[in-house]
Amino acid sequence: MDYRHQLFHHRDPYDVPGTDALFLAAVRENCLYQAANCPPYARILRAFDFSPRDLRSIADLSRLPVLPTAYLKRHHLFSMPRWRMPILAASSGTSGAASQIGLDLGSLTNGLAMVLRVMAPRRLVSPQPCHYVVFGYRPHPSNHTAIAKTAFGFTCLTPAVSRTYALRYKNGAYEPDLDGVIRAICTQARSPFPTRFIGFPAYTYFTLTRMEAQGLRVRLPAGSKVMLGGGWKQFYREAVDKTVLYCLIEKIWGIPEENVIESYGAAEHPILYCDCPQHHFHVPIYSRVLIRDVHTLEPLPPGRVGLVNLITPMVRATPILSVMTDDLGILHDEACPCGVRSPYLEILGRVGMKEVQTCAAGAAALLAADAAGKEAHA
Amino acid sequence: MILFDGKQYPAEAQSDLLERLESRINRTLALRTLDREAVVRALDALSSRIASGEFDARIEALAAGDAARYKEMAVAATRRDALRFRLALELGDDAPSQLAPPYGLPRVRVESRPLGTLFHIAAGNVDGLPALSVVEGLLTGNVNILKLPSADDGLTLELLSLLIGLEPSIAEYVYVFDTPSSDADAMRKMAALADGIVLWGGEEATRAVRALAPPGARLIEWGHRLGFAYVSGYADKEAELAALAAHIAETRQLLCSSCQTIYLNTDSEAAARAFCREFLPILDAALAAARAPDPGDAAQATLRAYCRRLEEAAGQTDRRREVFRGAHGSLTLCADRKLELSDMYGNVLVKRLPAPYLLPILRRAKGTLQSAALICAPGERAALTETLLRAGVVRVMTAGNASVTFGGEAHDGLYPLRQYRRIVNVEL
Repeated sequence: MDYRHQLFHHRDPYDVPGTDALFLAAVRENCLYQAANCPPYARILRAFDFSPRDLRSIADLSRLPVLPTAYLKRHHLFSMPRWRMPILAASSGTSGAASQIGLDLGSLTNGLAMVLRVMAPRRLVSPQPCHYVVFGYRPHPSNHTAIAKTAFGFTCLTPAVSRTYALRYKNGAYEPDLDGVIRAICTQARSPFPTRFIGFPAYTYFTLTRMEAQGLRVRLPAGSKVMLGGGWKQFYREAVDKTVLYCLIEKIWGIPEENVIESYGAAEHPILYCDCPQHHFHVPIYSRVLIRDVHTLEPLPPGRVGLVNLITPMVRATPILSVMTDDLGILHDEACPCGVRSPYLEILGRVGMKEVQTCAAGAAALLAADAAGKEAHA
Repeated sequence: MILFDGKQYPAEAQSDLLERLESRINRTLALRTLDREAVVRALDALSSRIASGEFDARIEALAAGDAARYKEMAVAATRRDALRFRLALELGDDAPSQLAPPYGLPRVRVESRPLGTLFHIAAGNVDGLPALSVVEGLLTGNVNILKLPSADDGLTLELLSLLIGLEPSIAEYVYVFDTPSSDADAMRKMAALADGIVLWGGEEATRAVRALAPPGARLIEWGHRLGFAYVSGYADKEAELAALAAHIAETRQLLCSSCQTIYLNTDSEAAARAFCREFLPILDAALAAARAPDPGDAAQATLRAYCRRLEEAAGQTDRRREVFRGAHGSLTLCADRKLELSDMYGNVLVKRLPAPYLLPILRRAKGTLQSAALICAPGERAALTETLLRAGVVRVMTAGNASVTFGGEAHDGLYPLRQYRRIVNVEL
């Protein structure tokens, strides 16, 4: 019985209580597969004294061993031969090592069904042709990051009249070309087709402030949208208050706040979180979220700050059933005016350490580079 | 924001201001000499204002829980007597003098002068560090261009503006830009004006800066370091082990001087295991008593410990490592001798390193050596200290004091102020 298929083709993408039994069955099914096909994962389950058959109620999900993204970056686990994974996605590796997540064909077809359902309420899939401005990487054979692939995928939701990229591949490295982007925006303001912006919020913000400084303001055609995603990552401290960003988007591009859509996702948990008009990230049925205590990793009740544990039965090729990002977050269960009843996730940011505290870690990197250099010379 | 000649400008003004920077600096170099006493006076006034509690809220926000210690450090470092002590120690008597050289010319005048223009690049977001770097440049009479770290939260501009308010003659010696490091063009323009480039940061930043520095500019690099402890007997075992544990718990092993690896002067595995069994409860008690880290730090520590547990479960650990796990931290006994970074947050590496191997092993980490906490019998102390120093260590401290700072302390083996001056000779 393919419970995953049933879950990913369920009609209402936010009917969490109505899909609990199905979700649990799909996780159990996936966990049995992983236990049989991924020896290191099977050893972890044994060491934690956990059997897939222990998953009897939705509360049992908290007992499923969690793999932190930091662990997945150090150890690339697969439960299928490479030829059965049409896509091998890597996290963007902001801090060095990247995780590698295999995506099997089933996860991709189910993922497509998910994307269409999650985006439907925000009218993102449409036959109306659009210009696309991508604040991200232009696809290049050398770039395997999930973010580049996702961004390209987003430009396929409608027919694309044009695609402009803010990060160009030049002489073996990516470099930002915000002026090129600004020229494109000014041209597109006179086009009959709406424009859609996709990608890193930080670049979006830089572009807006640069246009503002140059005294440039445009009114992009009705139906234009801004899709933010990809996390603040290296620009975290530049994070502007979201309302400031929404105001700038309205002022400089003429796009009203309800057409600013934010999404959240991670290579290690490839479920699409799309915000509602109140900009809340409701948990879709393909995912369950636990917030865990930063000291004990015990699950916390809603409203408390902790590490974000994301669970999904979407992927078979890599055991990412239950992963933990290095973000801190809160799960809210209060009612949302948008009418969606599932709880919503608020991401507070990375568990980053300040540089002052990592000088020792920097020295270790230096030693490692030194050793690597010696090996290369030997 | 940009600080240029005492006035603040928006980031958009950068290219205009960079155009004007060279002639502005040249005018200062040609016509003015920064009065060291005036700088000291302004810093002393700042010190009193910090002491009076004017900035308590600000310090509390930066270092919750540790604010009192930070405040004390900031006050102590900027007080007149501390500055005088430091200037005298680092620069000595640098008044102009005349020499009668033993050969060559009959009479020469010798003078210590500012290097000229310093370009400070403070990578990362060490609170207060960019301002400190500029202050060192001012004390040595230099014009200072500072590139703010991208994560700067406004503290640097606040401090430097305040200093200029207290002593307006400083204004034309301070230029602060919040240029992103990716703006290579602007970075190159600033570097082109510099006699010395002061760089704080890791390997990546160092490589980038070396690439854009003009040939001939003096590079002054304050890089990252790894600390360790060397245990070879005891003067007062109980007190010394407790002090080492307290140091590990209080710094959470996050500082350059923090102990990452405990080296034992023994070749015996049994003795090393016995040490781990004995030290673990002491370390655990110290970690339990240390202040609760903020949630981000706690999460980081928990994640690291949990990843280790997963690796052990999945059979992905190095078999030559034996872990002694406590309730709050751990000791990992390793078979190798390399100086390396631990998992931090109370997770310490323990390695056997008989004294004859001390120097050769440490030499392999010479670029990262800084502090050693030495625990040994009193009779051995002088000889072991000598070996550590010969290996390249620049701070040898007692068990608990590895991260202690003091007035006039050398920075990674150098006196920073001396790096920011040049000696000139004039034929008479």
